[in-house]
Amino acid sequence: MTRETTSEPWRVGVLFSQSGFMAVIEETQLRGTLMAIDEINDAGGINGRQLEPVIYDPGSEARAFGQLAKKLMVEDGVNTIFGCYTSSSRKAVLPVVERLNGLLWYPTLYEGFEFSPNVIYTGAAPNQNSFELCRVLMEAYGTRFFFVGSDYVYPRESNRIMRELVRNSGGEVVGERYLRFGADRKEFQPLMHEIKDAQPDVIFSTVVGDSTIYLYQSYIDAGFDPKTMPIASLTTTEAEIKAMGFDVGEGHITAAPYFQGVGNERNSTFVSLYKKRYGEDQPTNMCLEAAYFQVHVFAKTLEETNSMDTEQLRALVMGSVFEAPQGEVAINPVCGHTDLWTRIGRANEKGQFDIVYESGRRVKADPYLIGYSRSLAFG
Amino acid sequence: MRGSDTTSAHDFAKLSIAVITERDDDGERLIRELQRLRAQVHHLWPVPQQLPVDYDVIVCDLIEDLPSRLPWLPGEPDCALVLIVSEHRPFSLKLLHRCAAQAVLHYPVSPVAVQTSLALAREHHLYERRLRGRIEKLDENLRTMRSVERAKSIVMRSKNLDEEAAYHFLRRQAMARRVSIGVIANAIIDSQELLG
Repeated sequence: MTRETTSEPWRVGVLFSQSGFMAVIEETQLRGTLMAIDEINDAGGINGRQLEPVIYDPGSEARAFGQLAKKLMVEDGVNTIFGCYTSSSRKAVLPVVERLNGLLWYPTLYEGFEFSPNVIYTGAAPNQNSFELCRVLMEAYGTRFFFVGSDYVYPRESNRIMRELVRNSGGEVVGERYLRFGADRKEFQPLMHEIKDAQPDVIFSTVVGDSTIYLYQSYIDAGFDPKTMPIASLTTTEAEIKAMGFDVGEGHITAAPYFQGVGNERNSTFVSLYKKRYGEDQPTNMCLEAAYFQVHVFAKTLEETNSMDTEQLRALVMGSVFEAPQGEVAINPVCGHTDLWTRIGRANEKGQFDIVYESGRRVKADPYLIGYSRSLAFG
Repeated sequence: MRGSDTTSAHDFAKLSIAVITERDDDGERLIRELQRLRAQVHHLWPVPQQLPVDYDVIVCDLIEDLPSRLPWLPGEPDCALVLIVSEHRPFSLKLLHRCAAQAVLHYPVSPVAVQTSLALAREHHLYERRLRGRIEKLDENLRTMRSVERAKSIVMRSKNLDEEAAYHFLRRQAMARRVSIGVIANAIIDSQELLG
């Protein structure tokens, strides 16, 4: 390999929605990405070359993600793309990066059961959030679950796994409803009546985007109490809580590898850097954290390969360990997913999560749930 | 317009082919060769902003912005794509890569070159499509496998059957109702839930 002696920037693609109903969370992922890129560039770039992001706004449309990924690769000559929140958008980008042999860095939790040699997954797989969440909910609140989700790939697949867990652990799914993407507030009212009738112990939500806010607000309107029947989620982060209002989010449960409240020095630096850049009232969240650390993992790898070639990057990133704000994480060499921490938090009156469970170390990613039985052993 | 998908890669008759190149000596020769193979040849010129999709094969000049004129996503092509390169036009391997084509022809064409490129392009295109289909099936199977296993254990318990017999039961039910075994499995799991 000959070392290039150019000062030309390394161009990378960035695909997060800055408009449409997913902007509330994807915007924070864009911020995390850009913050990491600036940090790297301020420290002199990678082997003397700056990172140059080519940014497009797919506007929350899955099709646009596919087309813009193509544009990035065939017109802008980009080989590495940071982006995607929803599974539909990831699936739209997949054929493009697979055929043209690019590398997508995907910083979002998803339903698992996928493995592409052209994707590095840095968000949680179901074994890293759903399993522990189900156990905590059953122990603390009860065994009757009501599933609410947005109507697309992720909620249905994610609920399939959750349903197995609940049923096989002696629990019951007493209702299941999917609302269209971008459902507005009044569409949640009939749902609340249904929940009242079903009397679940827990509402398990896989609602994403703007609708998240309406779900929690309608819950308040219906006069429910999070102490006895909380909404539990894998997707409601500090960003959604801020958008719905701290009082609306208080008492509800989320499982995530990262919360702003994680107490370590790496995270304090990260949080204060973020606030300095975007404002004191801006919280961090798990999707933003993954978007942030994955750029650093990429940069560390690129420093060694000194090449944007997918084969070289992938070969070197496998097994690499990185000190992320959530704690030490590692790219799992078997599946290209990330070994992450498992945490469960309860939202407090300041819009932050009090951590009620923590794995204490990173948990190996198992996207196909090979090492997991379908029931939780209570003991 | 599109010919039969079941035509073998070596049978060029009935294959619908769009030829997108100038009708100069080289272009005429290419069109003649394709017609000699009894393919249905449709000539288009100049290169449209968006290439058509309703052909089996598109044979097109490799021009600088061709990747953006392809209407499909790389990895999900609607047609087999053969690129025409010539000494008179700039050419780069990077451009070739971005078109994600299945074969290349070089001007001036010879009869052997036309046949071999066409056969390879068609063969690769169909093979990629079969592979994609297989991956889709695999993904789906992986998801249903968990439900089938769960349903199997419910049937084993409720009907007091061994594993093999429970599986046969599921398969018979699926065949009788003309649905997939996954649908039956999910129905059993759901009814179990209802009955408590």
